[in-house]
Amino acid sequence: MSAAGLAACSRDRRPRLNIFNWSDYIAPDTVPKFEAETGIRIRYGIYESNEEMLARVMGGNSGWDVVFPTDYIVKPMLANDLLAPVHREELPDLAQLEPRFQRPDWDPDLKWSVPYMVIAAGIAYNRKLNPPPRTWADMWDERLRGRMTMLDDPFDVLGACLKKLGLSVNSADPGELRRAQAEAIRQKPLLRAYLNAEVRDQLVSGDVMAAHMWNTTAQQAMDSSPDIGFAYPEEGYAVYPDCAVILRESKRQELAHKFLHFLLRPDIAAANALASRTTTTNAGARKLLPPVFRDNPTLYPGPDVVARGEWAKTVNPAPQRLRDRLWTEIKSA
Amino acid sequence: MKRLAAPLAIYAVLAYLFLHLPLLILAGFSFNESRFTVWRGFSLNWYRAAFQNQQLMEAAGNSLIIAIFATIFATIIGTLCAYGFWKRSSPVLAGSLYMSLVTPEIVSGISLLAFYQWIFRFLRVQLGMHTVILAHVSFSIAYVVIVVMARLRTVDASLEEAALDLGANEWQAFRYVTLPAILPGIIAAAMLAFTVSFDDYVITSMVAGVDSETLPMVIYAIARRGVNPVVNAISALIVVGFGSLILISERLRAA
Amino acid sequence: MKRLRAWFLAPTWAVMLTLFVVPLAIIFAYSLLTRGTWGGISQPWSLESYRRLADPIYLGIVWRSFWIAGAATVLCLALGFPLALFISRSGKRKNLYLSLVILPFWTSFLVRTYAWMFLLRDTGLINTALQKLGLIHDPLPLLYNDGAVIVGLVYGYLPFMVLPLYATLERLDRNLLEAAADLGAKPWVALTRVIIPLSAPGIRAGAILVFIPCLGAYLTPDLLGGGKTVMIGNLIQNQFTTARDWPFGSAVSLTLMAIVLVLLLVFVRREEGGLV
Repeated sequence: MSAAGLAACSRDRRPRLNIFNWSDYIAPDTVPKFEAETGIRIRYGIYESNEEMLARVMGGNSGWDVVFPTDYIVKPMLANDLLAPVHREELPDLAQLEPRFQRPDWDPDLKWSVPYMVIAAGIAYNRKLNPPPRTWADMWDERLRGRMTMLDDPFDVLGACLKKLGLSVNSADPGELRRAQAEAIRQKPLLRAYLNAEVRDQLVSGDVMAAHMWNTTAQQAMDSSPDIGFAYPEEGYAVYPDCAVILRESKRQELAHKFLHFLLRPDIAAANALASRTTTTNAGARKLLPPVFRDNPTLYPGPDVVARGEWAKTVNPAPQRLRDRLWTEIKSA
Repeated sequence: MKRLAAPLAIYAVLAYLFLHLPLLILAGFSFNESRFTVWRGFSLNWYRAAFQNQQLMEAAGNSLIIAIFATIFATIIGTLCAYGFWKRSSPVLAGSLYMSLVTPEIVSGISLLAFYQWIFRFLRVQLGMHTVILAHVSFSIAYVVIVVMARLRTVDASLEEAALDLGANEWQAFRYVTLPAILPGIIAAAMLAFTVSFDDYVITSMVAGVDSETLPMVIYAIARRGVNPVVNAISALIVVGFGSLILISERLRAA
Repeated sequence: MKRLRAWFLAPTWAVMLTLFVVPLAIIFAYSLLTRGTWGGISQPWSLESYRRLADPIYLGIVWRSFWIAGAATVLCLALGFPLALFISRSGKRKNLYLSLVILPFWTSFLVRTYAWMFLLRDTGLINTALQKLGLIHDPLPLLYNDGAVIVGLVYGYLPFMVLPLYATLERLDRNLLEAAADLGAKPWVALTRVIIPLSAPGIRAGAILVFIPCLGAYLTPDLLGGGKTVMIGNLIQNQFTTARDWPFGSAVSLTLMAIVLVLLLVFVRREEGGLV
């Protein structure tokens, strides 16, 4: 079976493009459509975390052409000379992006990256909880003992603690960070586990009553069960725009541009957002979404909620060291 | 001493249950209609889904190819090495083989990744099937050496000496006298190397490239996203597959 | 004889040198460098990574790894010894019983860990069964704690204990046991005074083969511990991924290797020049 596949590959003279993306982050027919329209053959790989992706591409010889880092990874990638410039002239549909993503903080002229989708972190909960959680402080509530999880990610956990204290998720102040760490350690006895997407099933089955969760995963849980709800905490929350970048090592940069151009098409972007249950950065795409999805409060919340969101920024080396140390302490506590 | 026989036997039954029950249950639920632990009815859905999952199938194919190549290289190199040890021991080499066996996988994986990244500055080679195969060979050799050595210890050294006395050269003595005697051991070692390679996750995930995603990597990715009976189905197939392989290998080793 | 032997050992030397020694040397070099501004490595050379290790929190992680690995090893010994004894005394069926022990081991390690997650969850089989039987009302929190990690480790490494134990027990001289019985020793006494001391080499070998991999475990505490257990393996993995601090990760890796080396030197006797 695979031998036949290999044989077919070696005879395949079509140009190739290697895309490395998050899991469940694209519509099933996007790649086939692209292949049919352009005649370019795509190899599509997936990863579960920025770190996993970065570990592979750091060496500069991974073989991937396009990867999808979260915004705060773009700067370190640039500093390590991993990125190839993006030629705006080849991407007229950049104009389709929402205004706040046309000149984003991490790349104001969009010279290196193309915004893709946006994730936010909040609280997913079982509707049996009465009253439902509305703030980060609710995740420290005794009634959730043993039935609550937090994300297994230092930025997310420290971010939630910082927000609970009324501070910025991007804080670099050692005093603030230590206070956040103290909060996390205080919470630990109540915590069932640090889990990422795998907690979705436990939420649906009722093992877990409240989970620190990204809005996409929560939406997927809500698709499976009417008992699940999602809340954007009142103190504020972290927002993670993901973007597409072209790797410097890529020998197929023109083909990569073709793929990025394809992703920016409103119809394609809409299909991707719909299939992966995510918020798209593409305003043109958003208009094409079915109403029930377009006005979905979990993925497309109202302006007052959006105002509370804070974009995750790159952490500088010194605070990074401290955060890493604090995370180890939290985990070992 | 005979009075120990009965309690020991009972204990053995419980111990075997402990060892096998989790896997049997996992396999059992792969036939479950529903995703959850409540039994809803017999169904081959998940097996169908597994075979229709292109990524899964491709990864399975990659795992097979990598394992076959790694096994061939490791078995040849390891057998030669065991034979060399049999003639006269080499503590340094034996020590390093033993160290490679007990090195934590994460350390091996990271050191190999660093090694490849360093080499890539001079040789323009990318991470791919070949880097994975080389990595697998490096940790499989020790297993092969152990198994073949065990077999070699049951071979009478004087047989080779007799052959030499009768006019054979070293290579002929090895090829026609010793090699047939240790063949079952070599085959058993090969099966061991194959399984170790097929099963590896930690080291492979660090040195794999664009086209070399393996089955354990895909299983891990699926399992990380939550309960998915497709994993149960694949697991059941793996249990049956390798179960048969190992039973055959044991028969051969004892032969 | 010597010429042929050199050729026979050459490929192994080549592989070990390039794919084991050199990579470790590179990691050693990394451990003496400094973290690059945005991750990776850079000059200057320094011993800082090693100095950081002396911090109580990392020593605490080492201690915790020792205790979990130790608990798993002791449990493996307790569970594995009677089993090995049984197999060594089962006459014709020895190989069959031995194969049955090895069989689960030769399936995917990932799958075996996944099986335990499947069993121990709140809605998993054990809790569902206990609830159906009316023995408990609310599910027991079996997963996401140190206990689950230890169970997972024991399950994964039990065969590593059983096999060396079996090898030693099988070679035990029956005459000794008969002599003990003749002298009026009860079975329990024969066990503790004769069998166990004589199987010391097997116990040593098994303990090493279980303890060392458990010390460096990272998948099991990650999956079964719910991210709440930090062992040395998790620390290393964290440094090379989230923290992007390769020098420190390398230093921890080498320290782990050093611990392994010391344990080996202390406990493994070089009975034969070859392996095992």
